[in-house]
Amino acid sequence: MKRFFASDFFYDFVRSPVALLSFLIVLFLVLSAVFASVIAPTNPFDAASLNLMNGFTPPMEPNPFTGDVFWMGTDDQGRDLFSAILYGLRISLFVGAMAVALAAVMGVLLGLIAGYMGGWLDNLIMRFADIQMTFPSILVAMLIFGVARGILPPELRDEMAITVLIVSIGLSEWVPFARTVRGSTMVEKEKEYIAAARLIGLNRWQIMMRHILPNVLNPVLVIATITLALAIIAEATLSFLGVGAPRTEPSLGTLIRVGQDFLFSGEWWILLFPACTLLALALSVNLFGDWLRDKLNPRLK
Amino acid sequence: MSFITAKNLVRRFDLSDPWIVRKLTFRPKKFLTAVNDVSFSVEKGTTYALVGESGSGKSTIAKMAVGLLTPSAGTITLDNHNLNDPNLSPQRQRLMRRRIQMVFQSPYASLNPRWRVGDILKEPIQSFDLIQGTKNQAKRVEELLEQVGLSPSDAKKYPHEFSGGQRQRISIARALSSQPDVIICDEPTSALDVSVQAQVLNLLKSLQKEFSLTYLFITHDLAVVSSVANRIGVLNKGALVEEASPEELFTNPKQDYTRMLLNAAPKML
Repeated sequence: MKRFFASDFFYDFVRSPVALLSFLIVLFLVLSAVFASVIAPTNPFDAASLNLMNGFTPPMEPNPFTGDVFWMGTDDQGRDLFSAILYGLRISLFVGAMAVALAAVMGVLLGLIAGYMGGWLDNLIMRFADIQMTFPSILVAMLIFGVARGILPPELRDEMAITVLIVSIGLSEWVPFARTVRGSTMVEKEKEYIAAARLIGLNRWQIMMRHILPNVLNPVLVIATITLALAIIAEATLSFLGVGAPRTEPSLGTLIRVGQDFLFSGEWWILLFPACTLLALALSVNLFGDWLRDKLNPRLK
Repeated sequence: MSFITAKNLVRRFDLSDPWIVRKLTFRPKKFLTAVNDVSFSVEKGTTYALVGESGSGKSTIAKMAVGLLTPSAGTITLDNHNLNDPNLSPQRQRLMRRRIQMVFQSPYASLNPRWRVGDILKEPIQSFDLIQGTKNQAKRVEELLEQVGLSPSDAKKYPHEFSGGQRQRISIARALSSQPDVIICDEPTSALDVSVQAQVLNLLKSLQKEFSLTYLFITHDLAVVSSVANRIGVLNKGALVEEASPEELFTNPKQDYTRMLLNAAPKML
């Protein structure tokens, strides 16, 4: 830990205003999402606690019927927007992080196999990646989402919505991981320490996992950070289009969709606050990812 | 009695275009013969040096000897066992491969940068199941480090903490940890300083005496050859053109190519 604080990396980090600010915003948002149940004044998922009389309360103004005051106002069902945003942030971040984890594991494994085995397997995996890249990832995610919903029995649909969301976003973002890892694997496998590992009778799987994997993981962290921003936006887009998180468990995208219905009738806060939160989150993660890339792996630029 | 023998060894590489391109351009398959009908044999406990310029096929022979490449034709035998016998079970083949290890050319690319030296040396022991128990394995690693002139505390360090010559010592220790009978040295000193080269060669010589190892030495450096080899084979374009003892070769080369090779070496005045 001491070594980390004395490193070049930390020195540059503290002196880069963009990196420092974006990291602090991400940290702040992540912490408020994690501790949402402690910070939030109400539980937005608990339908019984909602009071319809509180509907459409503007921010910081007492409700004419109940006299309750809400920081960021309420939506049409009287749900406290501040609490809804905190819980929505939690879902957005969770879906984003899990989708990136899935994409990273899948991309790293497929890239490793393609790069090490070569031949027809390499061709198969990488041509499939090429084909997938010609479609916008949101389209791929919608396709997978639609298929999954079609297969699932109706009573499971809402329950599985978040899982389906994670899988569909994860499957649409694995290609950059696979391409980078494949490239580094092809460089590493020609090195003599791999030949030495073959001489002592290790099989391909052992060589890939024990020798190559630790040496190709460096750029994965950078790609994961940049992909996280993409995944959060993809989740918000899907939810905004009405195919993502259900209304009973709103993510930021769902909240923006709900808010959009009321924008022209004057209830601006229902749209504005979730949208600003999403903007702050996606922008900060993206800026931090860019800085990380320039710092750790300028070649990826 | 010869210990390791190559008989009519041939290795061809297929450099053809993809099938579809060949059919469209009506070109035949293209082959490169890297090693063409090479035969030699090495006595137990001696050093056989293969010399030749770049592209003469010496590294290809080294790779076939350790099993990284399979010969297109011909055989390599160790102790009268064919290394590429198709009837051998993978298990038996693995056991036989243990007896031939290799020291590589580059001291930088031959050690996994993410592994501690101790783990690098322990891996062959575990893979071949040579010593049981973590304590005994750690003791063996310390012993190996001392045998190559490093300190037992170096086991905890990473490869980048060592110099080129020290890394080559680690590489030698890794080859030794499989308890081999034969070590193929693929230009083990060509990436090192001249002052360090002599140290590494002396280490190899003393280890040879201690464990009665057989060396197949691949090199283009005639100074190295004269100091270690008992027998020298000269390779040119994949074929063995001359074979002799060092004294004979340096004083009375029979082939024009050998003479050219000897004259091409820079001499100190």
